[in-house]
Parts: sequence; structure tokens; C-alpha cells
Amino acid sequence: MKHFIGLVGTNSDQSTNRQLLQFIQTYFKDQATIELMEIKGLPVFNKPKDRIVPDEVKVMANKIEQADGVIISTPEYDHAVPASLMNALNWLSYGIYPFVDKPVMITGASYGTLGSSRAQAHLRQILDAPELKARIMPSSEFLLAHSLQAFNEDNQLLDSSQVEKLTGLFADFITFVDLINQLIHAHGSNKKAAENFSWDNL
Amino acid sequence: MKFVGIVGSNADLSYNRKLLQFIKTQYQDLFELDVVEIKDIPMFNQSDDQTNSSPIQNLNQKILAADGVIIATPEHNHTIPAGLKSVLEWLSFKIHPLENKPVMIVGASYYDQGSSRAQLHLRQILDAPGVNAIVMPGNEFLLGKVKESFNENDQLIDTNTVKFLQGVLEKFVEFVRLVNRLEAPKEEPLPKEDLHVTGTIDTTIKEIDMAAEDWVEQAAAKVNAVEGNTYVKLNRGILTVDQINTFLASMPMELTYADDNNQFLYYNYTKEAEDMLADRVPGQAGNPLALCHPERSLSSVEWVIQQLRSGRQDVVRVHVPTHGPDKFVVHNYQAMHDEEGNYKGINEFILDFKPIVDWYLKQTGLTLEGDIDAGSGASQQDHGVDAGSGASEKA
Repeated sequence: MKHFIGLVGTNSDQSTNRQLLQFIQTYFKDQATIELMEIKGLPVFNKPKDRIVPDEVKVMANKIEQADGVIISTPEYDHAVPASLMNALNWLSYGIYPFVDKPVMITGASYGTLGSSRAQAHLRQILDAPELKARIMPSSEFLLAHSLQAFNEDNQLLDSSQVEKLTGLFADFITFVDLINQLIHAHGSNKKAAENFSWDNL
Repeated sequence: MKFVGIVGSNADLSYNRKLLQFIKTQYQDLFELDVVEIKDIPMFNQSDDQTNSSPIQNLNQKILAADGVIIATPEHNHTIPAGLKSVLEWLSFKIHPLENKPVMIVGASYYDQGSSRAQLHLRQILDAPGVNAIVMPGNEFLLGKVKESFNENDQLIDTNTVKFLQGVLEKFVEFVRLVNRLEAPKEEPLPKEDLHVTGTIDTTIKEIDMAAEDWVEQAAAKVNAVEGNTYVKLNRGILTVDQINTFLASMPMELTYADDNNQFLYYNYTKEAEDMLADRVPGQAGNPLALCHPERSLSSVEWVIQQLRSGRQDVVRVHVPTHGPDKFVVHNYQAMHDEEGNYKGINEFILDFKPIVDWYLKQTGLTLEGDIDAGSGASQQDHGVDAGSGASEKA
């Protein structure tokens, strides 16, 4: 069975993106184990000269390395990814490269109608940066709009068409992980490119 | 003009900081730039509101007070740094200092791209409803290969780049002026004022010719106005009419009462017109305001009344330098209101307050700084308020 990390894209105590990941975690428990990962409390990334990342980041990086894939669920703040998620990704690509060639599925929930569409588009660009270079599942948006009304008290998604869509995407993601694992030819050079990427030698 | 320059990086070494510092010194003839840092701003967390912390409030105040903002952003992972995004999230959560603020984006990066993707993201972020900044379109300034761009004195080496940057910044100054005009409150035109007093109000003494030289006598007879040693009950006290007259005559200023029907009802007659700061003659009492001002100044008179009646201004002051340097003469048009707040007319008081200033300076040992003449040019002059129009200048 596959093992995934469910990365909660916000440091907020109240989050429908966390709720969405919790739903995915239980709903698909027969297909994969999913560990939820929080990003709260990391220091603000400031490109330290010594390139030492905080211990909690190392723990996160290690878990991501071990996992078969990562599901990131992002809210949208000001048309973009929350600073706290950008911050986590800044740390998780600074001298350590757990995301290189890691299969990633993006989901998002928002209180309004758009379901974090712009944040998801940004996140795809971010994950494509040289030091992240994740393998993002293409053509697979999952936008959960009006997320405050989307769950019942047992944390079940109310809209059956949304559940159906998510089921399809999740099955695709498992296939996508297998596929990516066969696309190993570029992995060595991707890893090398990330490691050689230097702010100072450009 | 005063701008705030936000260093989009919290790193110790930042070429974006260098870029802003270069802009600050190189283009100081164009504007004043306050370069501010973001490293003390905590990570945004909507569950832990720190909007009122001093680093955020300081930045808030600086932005609110600035005419425009220049943001210099590096690029991390194809987007802006998390630290800068965090700042923008705080500034769009409970407070919104960037709302309608003209913003220009610049960016420096180590590689060729010069923060191109970060700048595009930043534009989208600044356009979000909670931020609502007005970002200057076009005019991208991307500084690539920064390590080779500055000399040891932190000056940009390439003269074409310096010239290009100058052009972009000049455009931004123009852009700020444009936006300020765009965002200036649209004031509804105020209703016309009836300066000829064609209507009446409750207190108008009717059927007497307002233009008559002896309006006071005629009107007094009509309403049996009290005078002499008759007592009048006031808030708070009792005086005779004589005592009220004595009291008002002793005021160290020329007082005029015009009611909310634009009728000139009273002035504290103690001097003849030629000895007054703004001349009045006894026959003018009762006149519509149109009658005691020259035709050419009626639009200014109307403007002043419109400000006061609408409440846009509680007092309109005009500095009148024509009396020479030995007098500090100010015409004050103070709105009057009843206890319910209804507009009741104008208390016009005109005084030379130099004797008070002189006395105060002598008492305290303080001195006036600068050229006294420099104080002239009240903003009301833009509206052509003709302070010199005395009451005797009948049209």
C-alpha cells in the first residue's frame, strides 16, 4: 500500500484544507496510508548563510523522502499561496531536496466560489522551481469551493459529485506515482541540478 | 513626494536592499525614499492576530503616510519570498494600508531572470481584494546578474540601466499624481446659495425692505424689539440690552452675524468703516449678502457658505496680508449651529492677533522662526475667496 504525506497548506488553527485532507485520509484508507503534516511554527525563512535548516524541517524532509507522494492542500490568501506554505517550501528546498521528482497532487479549499484556483496555479509554478522540481500530477485540479458548508459534522464531504471526482483523482494519483517511478532517467540529473543550484554561482 | 521602499528580503545580504538604497540616493531629486525592512515581521497566522504589534503598526503608519510604495522583491522558488508574502498578508487582514496606494515593483536576482516570475506573482497578489493596491502597469524593472551589477560603492555600474531606471521612476512619480487624482473623493456639487435672500425663514422680519438704510429701525418697530435697560435671559445669565452691547463692543475683533437665510443681521458697530479691518457701514445691517459684496466676489461668498452649511468645513479662514507686516489679520467664517446641530448661519470674526502673539512671545521668551510673510497663501485662496471685499463695496 502506498504511503503519502498530506501537507496542510496553512498554519491556521481552523482550516477546511486540513479538514479536506482528514477526509481524504479516512475515505481512502483502504488504498493508502496518509500522514498529515503541519507547517505551523517554522521560523521565517531568511536564507541563512550557514545553510543550516531547523531540526523540525529536517524531520519533515525525511518523512517526505520516505513517502511515495505528497498531497498538498492549499488555501488562497491574496490570490496566492499562504506565506506559511511558501515558507515551508523555502526551507524544504534549502540545501535539502526532498521534493525532487516526488509525485505531488494539489488540492485546495476556499470559503468562496473559486476554490483557491489562483493559489493552485501559483503552487504549480513554485513546485517547478529548480530546487523543488516536484512531479506534479497534470490536469488534475481539485477545487473545493464554499468549504465551510462542504462537510457534515462527521467530516464527510456532502457533495457526492465532489466525492466522485476526488475518488477518480486519487486513483489516478496512485497510478501517477507508479508512472513517475518509471520515469527515473532524469532523476539523477534533476537531483544533481538541484544540488548544484547555488545562489552564489549563477 | 514621499515614498516607502520595502526591502522584500529578510536576508542579511540582499541586492534588493542595495537597489533600494541606490534609488534613494541616486534619485533624491525626484522623491524622498524611506527604505524599510521586514525582518521583524512575524509569520502571518490568522489564528494568532498580531496586527497591533509594533513592527506591523510601524510599517502600517509609514505606508499610510506615504504617497507611494516601491517594493523590491527577490525570487525564491519562482515566487516572492515567504517573508514578503507574510507582510502582505498582515497588511490585508485587519488593516489595509495599501488600499488605493500607488505601488511600483522592482526586483533584483542573481540570475538572468531578474525576478520576473516573482514580479508577476506580486502583481497578482497586490491586486487581490484585501490588498487592493494600484500597481503601475508596464515599466518592469528587472535587474539580473546582480553580483556583477554594483561597484564597490554600491552604485549601479551600467549607465544605461541608471538612465532606464530614472525614466521608470519619473513615470512612477507621474503615476502617483494620476492615482491621487483618481482616488480623490468625488465631492457632490453643493446646492446653490440664495445670496439675494428671496425666501424667508422663521426668524426673518417680513415686509421690511432688506436694502433699506434704516432697516434696523423699521424692523425693530415691526417686532417691538427690546432695547436699553430691558433684561434679556441668556444661556447662561441675564443681561440688559445695553450690557450685551457693551460686552460685544469690547470684543477685540469685528463681529458679524449672517443668518442661515444669508441675511446680514448684525455687526458690532464701534468704528467707522475707514478704521475697520473689513469695512462695514450701519446702513448695511439687514442686507442680503449679495448686496454687501461686490459682484465679482459672490461666487467666493457662495463657496464659503456652501462649505459651512454642508459641514464640509466648520470654519473657513483667510489670511489677509494686505494690512502690512505690523498686523496679522485673519478673517474667520465660523459656522453656527443650534443645539440640535442645525446650521444657523455664520459668525464672521475678523481680528489682528499680532498683539496677542507679541505679548505671548515676550512673556515666554519664545521667538517666531522664519519669514512671517511665508505664512501667506491659505489654501482657500485657490477658491478665490476675496477677503478684501469689504461690506461697503456695494456692487
